[in-house]
Amino acid sequence: MNFGFPHFMALLPVISLTVASVVVMLCTAFFRRHGLIAALTLLGLGITLACLHQQSGIAAIEVTPLMQFDRLSVFFSAWILVAAMVVTLLSWHYFRTREGLSEELYVLLLTATLGAVVMVSSIHFASFFLGLEILSVSLFALVAYPVTSLTRKDRSAASPIEAGIKYLILAGIASAMLAMGMAFLYAATGELSFSGIQTMLQTDAVHESRNLYAMGGIVMILAGVAFKLALVPFHMWTPDVYHGAPAPVTAFLATVSKFAMLVLILRAFLFARGDHPEAVIAVVTGVAAVSMLVGNLLALQQNNVKRMLAYSSISHSGYVLVAFLAGMVASTANAIKAEGIEVEAIAFYIVSYLLTSLTAFGVVSVLSSGRERVSYSRESGGNVDAETRDTDGLQDYESLFWKRPVMASVFAIALLSSAGIPLTIGFMGKFYIFAAGVTSALWWLLLVLIASSGIGLFYYLRLVLVMFRLPEGGHDGHGEEVMAPAQTTAAALVREIPVGARWLMVLLGGVILWLGVYPGPLMAEIRDILVAMRVAG
Amino acid sequence: MLNAIACVTLLPLFGFFVLTLLRPPERVAAWIGCGTVAAAAAILFTITIGFLQNPPAEGHAVVHYGTWVGIGSFQPGFSAWVDMLTLTMLCIITGVGFLIHVYSAGYMVRDEGFARYFSYLNLFIAAMTVLVMADNLLLLFMGWEGVGLCSYLLIGFWYRDPANGAAARKAFIVTRVGDTAMIIGFFMLYLQFSTIDIAEILRRSHEAIYFNQSLYTVVALLLLGGAVGKSAQLPLQTWLPDAMAGPTPVSALIHAATMVTAGVYLIARTHPLFMQAPLAQHAVGWVGLLTLLIAGASALVQVDIKRILAYSTISQIGYMFLGLGVGAWSASIFHLMTHAFFKALLFLSAGTVIFCLHHKQDITEMGGLRKLMPLTFASFVIGCGSLASLPLITSGFYSKDEILIGAWNSGEMAFFWGGVVGALITAVYSFRLVFVVFFGAPKTHPDHAPTLNMQVPLVLLGILSVMGGAIHLRLDGVLPIGSHEVSTGGHGMISALLIVLPLVGVALAWWLYRRGITWTKTTGAPAAMLFFRRGWAFDALYDAVLVHPWVWLATVNRSDVVDSGYTAVARLTQWLYQQASITQTGSVRWYAGVMIFGFTLILSAAVFL
Repeated sequence: MNFGFPHFMALLPVISLTVASVVVMLCTAFFRRHGLIAALTLLGLGITLACLHQQSGIAAIEVTPLMQFDRLSVFFSAWILVAAMVVTLLSWHYFRTREGLSEELYVLLLTATLGAVVMVSSIHFASFFLGLEILSVSLFALVAYPVTSLTRKDRSAASPIEAGIKYLILAGIASAMLAMGMAFLYAATGELSFSGIQTMLQTDAVHESRNLYAMGGIVMILAGVAFKLALVPFHMWTPDVYHGAPAPVTAFLATVSKFAMLVLILRAFLFARGDHPEAVIAVVTGVAAVSMLVGNLLALQQNNVKRMLAYSSISHSGYVLVAFLAGMVASTANAIKAEGIEVEAIAFYIVSYLLTSLTAFGVVSVLSSGRERVSYSRESGGNVDAETRDTDGLQDYESLFWKRPVMASVFAIALLSSAGIPLTIGFMGKFYIFAAGVTSALWWLLLVLIASSGIGLFYYLRLVLVMFRLPEGGHDGHGEEVMAPAQTTAAALVREIPVGARWLMVLLGGVILWLGVYPGPLMAEIRDILVAMRVAG
Repeated sequence: MLNAIACVTLLPLFGFFVLTLLRPPERVAAWIGCGTVAAAAAILFTITIGFLQNPPAEGHAVVHYGTWVGIGSFQPGFSAWVDMLTLTMLCIITGVGFLIHVYSAGYMVRDEGFARYFSYLNLFIAAMTVLVMADNLLLLFMGWEGVGLCSYLLIGFWYRDPANGAAARKAFIVTRVGDTAMIIGFFMLYLQFSTIDIAEILRRSHEAIYFNQSLYTVVALLLLGGAVGKSAQLPLQTWLPDAMAGPTPVSALIHAATMVTAGVYLIARTHPLFMQAPLAQHAVGWVGLLTLLIAGASALVQVDIKRILAYSTISQIGYMFLGLGVGAWSASIFHLMTHAFFKALLFLSAGTVIFCLHHKQDITEMGGLRKLMPLTFASFVIGCGSLASLPLITSGFYSKDEILIGAWNSGEMAFFWGGVVGALITAVYSFRLVFVVFFGAPKTHPDHAPTLNMQVPLVLLGILSVMGGAIHLRLDGVLPIGSHEVSTGGHGMISALLIVLPLVGVALAWWLYRRGITWTKTTGAPAAMLFFRRGWAFDALYDAVLVHPWVWLATVNRSDVVDSGYTAVARLTQWLYQQASITQTGSVRWYAGVMIFGFTLILSAAVFL
């Protein structure tokens, strides 16, 4: 096997991440200093980002048959690293004021990021599975942080341990399906690399004799992928896990973990050319439509902000599928590789999703950081879990704008971006997807997209309304019965906001607005990358 | 150097942001407001001189700054289209705009919304420059709506008086009617030519494969709809007199000199379309003619000094439309420029009168101000002289002359004679105003004098109003040769007529004034006079035909029939939510079961379908 200096250089980000996680782990063993560990993690991520910067614009290079480093992987790895850095900062603020040992969290964060980067660059099922499992196994433990909450008395709040175990079991099932699907595909084609499988699937031999194997394999892999993307009917874990996990981990789960999987299927999709089996198109159409509807419906009157955002992320995965379908339909019709507006739409949308979700969960995380400032008298129970509970009940957001104008404004921007309101990047992403759908004439699916966006608008705006409502006595009498949070007896939780975290959120909100007003450069960059991919492939 | 043209927009925009976010004290706000516009104007004049000295080969240049979004064939760019028409408009906007900024610093002194005022004014300059520099329909529309927004904000600037808010809403809604027509026209253009680049659309409109006479006519009429809304022409002229509720410098800048001429600019910019749709171009001429006569008659009998000027603005823009209608393209733009000078001068002078007479606007309470306010008197006479187009010494004479010669050459005699009658009316009402306000016995004494920063703009605008006629606009590459530049017979006679006519008008006004006929009575006046004063009762007409039936419909349908459908949808959604949320049990067994069940379903669908 040919492994020279260029290959080493290309692999450098992965090596750097690995080294960083080992260094952070060793450091934790000797110095239990939260700030130091967090800083080291940031440093490791920063060095990796610098390594990536080094190779931006390089020609595509295959490192072993498993991974390919090219502009696509560099671009998306950079986003993953930025998100990981944000999550590191959020975690630092979040766990600083909480009891328990949280230094190991950063090791897991680094390994999870490593898994994501491996996924983004993989062109082979082996590396795909490897990356996915590195990511997932790290996440099982991450979700269960902080360990002290074993002692919590309040049964109503979700426990991280419970969430971790749920995630472990269900993700295990999904991984099993994925592995089985790969085995079936291997049985059908004798290949495990994306391009090899693609070539074999086009040959008539596979078409005729082993159709069932291939089809079964494809569906199983789709199921495994759908689990990660929280698509219906593999979405059930999402609200419980998102809710139970500590807020910064939820941010990671919703952004990096999903993002890596989306990039991976985008890459696999670039290999797919020509005919897509009609049955697959039908299945994916169904999943997309149901995901968009069910995700938004479930979020409709949800009174827990983390759960609401979890449901909303289900529907966002459905939106992305619309663009994938547009590409599948277009390439089936023209018997060529999927290219043009559909792939651009996918790439742009997932970046917009990453930014928006990171900001939304980031705000929840920042609001949950810091010590409790005002504790209102509550009717039931003591103040037991006020210190550890996340600020995620709808009542915590009541009139937030008048108490925390900056955070409320940034949150409102993120919510509007999720809803796809103009002047935010979310609008541009949705517009892109819509344009892709129109190009491929997916009218029914677009109708579902519009209807579900309409439903979605309700709960986003409901939250915005709750945040901007005037405090005490400022009732305007409009739609009280629908809009008011259900459990008004629970006390609102208000904490001190760390200054640094606030600026971080303002920065993210600003990026959402800036890219919503002037997305041209980002679009041009994505198009460049995809053109380069097309030439190379 | 041409690349710096973005500064003309960005500097005032920067000023807007600073003023909005920081709300600095008066003196600082005035410096920021005037300073940014002054810098923009200075940059622009440098660019214009450079452009004139060595013009680009094609007569225009495009400065591309970036692409806003690029989705498929829809690629709107941030690009500036620079030719002499754009530069002329920009010079008017920033030049007159700067003078009015300076004047405002004196006029608005000790107003609690001082910084807010300047921020709006800066935003207006930014939006207006976007409008005239836009090289694609989207950017044009953005500027178009931006100035509409600023107009709304500034008419309702003193928002505590509900009447001002009502006037602002009226202006916004009435112009919206025109804007709707315009944007439908834009969509049709995009459908036909599949580009939003204006120059490209105009170029393709000449090509045989795109040619479609009826479509061009419809589009041109829709664009005319947008133009009449913005430029307060028949039948959407009703908002402008009410728009005088805003501060007087705003009336000078937005509702006289710049924004209301956007319609003229739009038609001049898209003139190839209008030239291929003779019916629509003819309609432009008729709109102009009728408007100038109707508004002129109303101006004769108003008693509010600002309303007189408002009607006269409508009437003068009518002349510009008339010029466009008869193909005297550059004459219209020329009149646009001179009108900007003298109408701004008139409004600022009127503002000075109002300012010094503690906010009195009724001309019946004025009189004899000639001796008390000599500078204001001088500038008012210059302005009115130019408006009445007194021969040889005023700029208005030269521009109106060109339009009427164009009308004569077009062969449509109604246009010419209508314009002549309008010119006579103009002379009469403008000097009626001068005589009533500045002659006779003083009725109200001014309690304070205009400040220096109010006087300087008056002097400069006065000079421009006199000398403006000598400016030679070099629009020949941009606009086609106008009908006024073709020589046919009979010009000597027309010139003689146009020289004598204003003098007759002034004499008539003097004679009427001496006889005590000033049409200022509010009670016991003839019905016709009241009819004219109410702007030919257009407001009452629209109320009866549009507003009342609509309100009636809304009252009848109080328990909205259509709404019940939506309520049903909401109920259904809520029900679906309840059904869906049952599935979220929280138990892992159930979740795993659903996963397996769903997987089986999908697999069988994929295999057996």
